[in-house]
Amino acid sequence: MGAITKIRTMESSAVTAPTLAVETIGLTKRYPLTWKRKVLVALDSLNLQVKQGEVFGLLGPNGSGKSTTLKLLLGLIVASEGEARVFGLPPDSLDARRRVGFLPENPYFYAFLNGDETLRFYGKLCGVTGAKLDKRIEELIDLVGLQNGRERPLRSYSKGMLQRIGLAQALIHDPDLLFLDEPTAGVDPLGSAQIRDLILRLKKMGKTVIFSSHLLEQVQEVADRVAIFSLGKKVLEGSLESLLTENQSTQVLIPAEMNAEQQDRLRQFIARDGVDAQAIRFTRPHLSLEQLYLRTVQAQPDAAKDSPKP
Amino acid sequence: MISSLQRIIVIGRNTLTEAVRQKVLNVLLIFAVVLVSCSVFISQLATPGLDPAGLFDEQIKFVKDFGCGAIGFFGFFIALLSTALLIPQELHNRTIYTILAKPVRRSEFLLGKFFGIILLLALCISLMSLAFVVTLYVQEQVGLGVVDSTYERMGDWKNNPHIVAMHDHDAAIIISQVRDPQLVEAVVLLFAKIVMTAAIALLISTFATSWIFTVITTFMIYLIAHAEGLARTFWLSQGAESTIWQSALVGLISMLIPDMNSFTIVDEILAGNHIPWSHALNLLAYANIYVIVLLAVSIVIFDYREI
Repeated sequence: MGAITKIRTMESSAVTAPTLAVETIGLTKRYPLTWKRKVLVALDSLNLQVKQGEVFGLLGPNGSGKSTTLKLLLGLIVASEGEARVFGLPPDSLDARRRVGFLPENPYFYAFLNGDETLRFYGKLCGVTGAKLDKRIEELIDLVGLQNGRERPLRSYSKGMLQRIGLAQALIHDPDLLFLDEPTAGVDPLGSAQIRDLILRLKKMGKTVIFSSHLLEQVQEVADRVAIFSLGKKVLEGSLESLLTENQSTQVLIPAEMNAEQQDRLRQFIARDGVDAQAIRFTRPHLSLEQLYLRTVQAQPDAAKDSPKP
Repeated sequence: MISSLQRIIVIGRNTLTEAVRQKVLNVLLIFAVVLVSCSVFISQLATPGLDPAGLFDEQIKFVKDFGCGAIGFFGFFIALLSTALLIPQELHNRTIYTILAKPVRRSEFLLGKFFGIILLLALCISLMSLAFVVTLYVQEQVGLGVVDSTYERMGDWKNNPHIVAMHDHDAAIIISQVRDPQLVEAVVLLFAKIVMTAAIALLISTFATSWIFTVITTFMIYLIAHAEGLARTFWLSQGAESTIWQSALVGLISMLIPDMNSFTIVDEILAGNHIPWSHALNLLAYANIYVIVLLAVSIVIFDYREI
């Protein structure tokens, strides 16, 4: 009887335990600077767990270890110490890379290929061929909105278009996990909002997305959890909800017409329950500049059109 | 295994497309201009004389020498520069990250790139050979015309079997000089030598940090590879007189650096000496083994490279 109970418990824990998309244990990358007789620690004992279906943001200044983390998780560079697993597999194994898509920072791709040829090339590398590849290209061109770039060589693409073809090639083999290195760097606010929406759509499709960014507001809008890096170390990690809520105070929204007298009465009313009346403040909520910009630009009729380079 | 081969082919074809769309083949226009100018120049030097066949024999020999030399020269530079730039360009454009993040092994990437270079070189050498064949054909027709006009001046020579025989003999000299099957052998050997050069450049570029280093080092090795045979003959033929150090040095160099001096049999072919195919095949096998060894070493080094 005891044994049966034990088996049942194991089964249920196997079902409920979230499967990890990415796990690192003490992952470290050092670069020896021989001429200076020093060692540069690009990443210092990183412990990280990302669950399947999560959108995870890597934040931090330039050179803080975000790109190094992504390169290690792709098996492009070898760890000096520690271990990384992607779906439980070593990152440089072909099986791991079959389930992973990657958009590098400032991607260039082959400038002499057009949009269709680019996707065809990457698709064939992943073993997607024939009618399946044709169908996939149609879907992705549609998904990233690049109908006007299919026949044009990539050298004539704008920054935003390059980023979108980059996303499409990362998705060509329908991977379960996406690594996006600065997906919105250098893209205009409208373009970056489209990329943000795309990340949210991918999340709805059940994909895991790990991305790095400097644009904090964007991260805030899409990420479930974030980790903040500094000088190769992870200094903070958690869900946005837990990290950003100021637990010391509560915000109440009231109409703007309320005059000073009414505000004073409200303050006294709240103070009756023993709340410190001095701690109650009346301020106007602010829009972020990005919200303002997007509201204004999206109100224009031609907003959705991409503006390619002349 | 099959999917591995497919990935190599996909990368190879992409490398060829890149080279063609970046107008590498335009270099061959210079080759065509140089070859045609040379042959026109040499024809203008010739004046119809008593021995038109002898004159054209020499003239065509010169065009053959020059043509094969130019194929070797242009092939060498296309191989050297396009191979030296392969990996640096991929790193600079970050395209290598997008490829290696896909289920592609590093060895497949490297072999695919090299396969692309071989396709490019085969295409270039075929096009240059075509231009070469056309030039030789024009020379043949001009030569036969001059022979005919020389005999025309003798009046009614067609009824004189003796003179007809002389005419046919002269024409045969020109035709045999142009339609020399050994030229195929010469071009195949040139191709093998150029592919060896590309393989050396590929090996160096797997650890070089700049393409200029690759170009200069490959060029030095190319020079040593030609001098090595001479050095070996010189030192080793002295028998007891050569010190053990000299022998060791020559031995070491000949192990590390291919002996390209053997490929000077192309010159023998052009000088009209008969070189049997068995000898050429031996050289091709040697080149083949050398390229395979170089590729294997390149793959090992590239596997460890941080990108």
